[in-house]
Amino acid sequence: MSDIAIFFLHGLAYAGLLFLVSSGLTLVFGMMSVLNFAHASFYMLGAYFAYWLLQITGNFWLALLISPLMLLVIGALVERFLLRKVHVLGHVHELLLTFGLAYIIDEAVKLIWGTNPHAIIISGFLAHTVNIMGVTYPVYRLFVFGVSMALGLFMWLILFKTRIGIIVRAAVEDSPMVGSLGINVPLVFMGVFSVGAALSGLAGVTAGPLLSVDPGMAGAILVDAFVVIVVGGMGSLGGAVLASFIIGELQSFGVLLFPDFSLALIYMLMAVVLVIRPEGLFGEKQ
Amino acid sequence: MKKLLTICIAVMTVLMMTTGVMAESTIKIAVVEPLSGNFKDIGDRYLEGVHYAAKVANENGGLLGKKVEIIPMDSELKPAVAVRKATKLIMKDGVNFFVGGTGSSVGGAMSVLANKKNAIMLSYGMAATSLTGEKCSRNFFRACATTDNQSYALAHWVADQKFKKVFCIAQDYSFGKQAVDAFVTKLKELNPAAEIVGTVMHPVGTKDFAPYVSQIIASGAEVVFTSNWGNDLTLLLKQAKPLGLKAQFACYYLNDENAIRVVANDEAVIGSVTAEIYMVTIPTEANKKFVEQFKKSEGRYPTWLRGKAYLATTFLFKAIEKAGSTDVDKVITAWEGLVYEGPAGKWTMRACDHQTQMPIWIAEIIKNNPYFEHAYVATPEEVASEKVSVPCDKTGCPGFQ
Repeated sequence: MSDIAIFFLHGLAYAGLLFLVSSGLTLVFGMMSVLNFAHASFYMLGAYFAYWLLQITGNFWLALLISPLMLLVIGALVERFLLRKVHVLGHVHELLLTFGLAYIIDEAVKLIWGTNPHAIIISGFLAHTVNIMGVTYPVYRLFVFGVSMALGLFMWLILFKTRIGIIVRAAVEDSPMVGSLGINVPLVFMGVFSVGAALSGLAGVTAGPLLSVDPGMAGAILVDAFVVIVVGGMGSLGGAVLASFIIGELQSFGVLLFPDFSLALIYMLMAVVLVIRPEGLFGEKQ
Repeated sequence: MKKLLTICIAVMTVLMMTTGVMAESTIKIAVVEPLSGNFKDIGDRYLEGVHYAAKVANENGGLLGKKVEIIPMDSELKPAVAVRKATKLIMKDGVNFFVGGTGSSVGGAMSVLANKKNAIMLSYGMAATSLTGEKCSRNFFRACATTDNQSYALAHWVADQKFKKVFCIAQDYSFGKQAVDAFVTKLKELNPAAEIVGTVMHPVGTKDFAPYVSQIIASGAEVVFTSNWGNDLTLLLKQAKPLGLKAQFACYYLNDENAIRVVANDEAVIGSVTAEIYMVTIPTEANKKFVEQFKKSEGRYPTWLRGKAYLATTFLFKAIEKAGSTDVDKVITAWEGLVYEGPAGKWTMRACDHQTQMPIWIAEIIKNNPYFEHAYVATPEEVASEKVSVPCDKTGCPGFQ
């Protein structure tokens, strides 16, 4: 019994990480219809910034706060000076732009920090372990899940319970109308994109201590993030939550029950979802 | 315009003549390594070892009275790229000697090319057993352990420690499977009482090892064998300890200070062991001298890849010296059966498959060491070359024509 509970817990922690990584991606797609290929590179930048900040300040909490803020600024600049220019040319151009941006960031990271992997070291109570039903469990894995829960709740509150959320959602539905009501629509989009970038930065910092910080980390997470948002439904926040949960648990119990094809299980899930509901679990029909 | 053209031609002629003169006065060694991309760090470290070997040779009057010239060649870890660039070096620059350590697929392609163009390819790091087995070639030499050798060495250690419950975890591709197979076969032979309580093959690039670690804990294993490298090694170790795994690890690649640094938790590596043909802590007089001089010259220790590349390249130099010529056929003949007693013990180049017969060193990871602030390898024990060797008739190498 406790065995199953532990594997469930493993699944939750990994689901937390998946949601952190995919939330920004699905937000930007849902609110701007931009499929941001540079998302995983932002995530990597978040982790590298955290590594750098940790070297200077030695404080993980500070890194957790400042690194996403740095990505917020980068996101705003990218939207204002790059994305907005190609917006009129259509989605393919936006996709290509973010694709190129991903390459540039990946190479820049190698130039600045080299190809040697680095570690983000946590200390204090985050580095401790707790005893759950007689099993040792690291506090940090619970922390990852906690952060993603808090983030999910926060995003839901903003988007569906505040005036900002109403404006953003309205701007997606009918931007000329919202614009004529005196709202600065380009500013709204800039805000959405930079928040998306900040979220990927937060994911990078949070993943850092669990994984390692290296130039391959963007490529390693990109596919996972796409699987989550395809299964959950492109642009759906609730879908990302559910898909992260399913994939996290499937991964964990897959290793326990079918170790030889645990990886295949996830792609099988994606195939099944695409056949039965091509728009994803919570996606809207186009 | 015509004048400009004449000048151009004149300059080019002079350049070609000077390089032609240089070609005769140096012995060129091309280093086939990933010098860009995600594995740049590995290639750079190997290259440093080769450079140092050349430096030592040149300071002692060169080879056969000629200077050794090192030509770095970025393989990009792609066999096709390596072959294209190497062909150019052979045809245009007259390079006969290639060394490299990264990517058995690159090694396989280079072996075929070396055979076709009659050059020599020496590997100091490519581990696929088949390179000196079924795919062996007269022009391919190896001065490092194969997966068989390294797994056998760890099996000896596990058997000697009389462990009863052993778990195997490896990356799910040919290398991981070969490593586990060789380890299990040898362990069964050495200690039939040892039980394999679980074997798991996980995808390369696994991010969350928690479910695997829980399985290892549930199996009650006392020791965990792993041939993992890169992130698959560091993440496994890093995530295992906080989840409460107490078993020791018997690893292929924990001799790497970068891996230990990235695990970033000494508690997670102390007590585990690693097996390699070279470690900076090998207690021979020759090694102490080498480490001291390398440190003095390069400002750092010749750890792992640097040491391996240095030793193997020096072995090649010994073969060229014995041959008294840079003629490929003469060097091949001279190298077969050649013995090199260096920092890592006695090496013999076996004639039947061109696989160096060499001892493998096994060391525990300890906290206090003079090399780094973090934990690192202790003084290793030698596993004799006969104990880890595969007999000539079992390698699968049909022999050279």
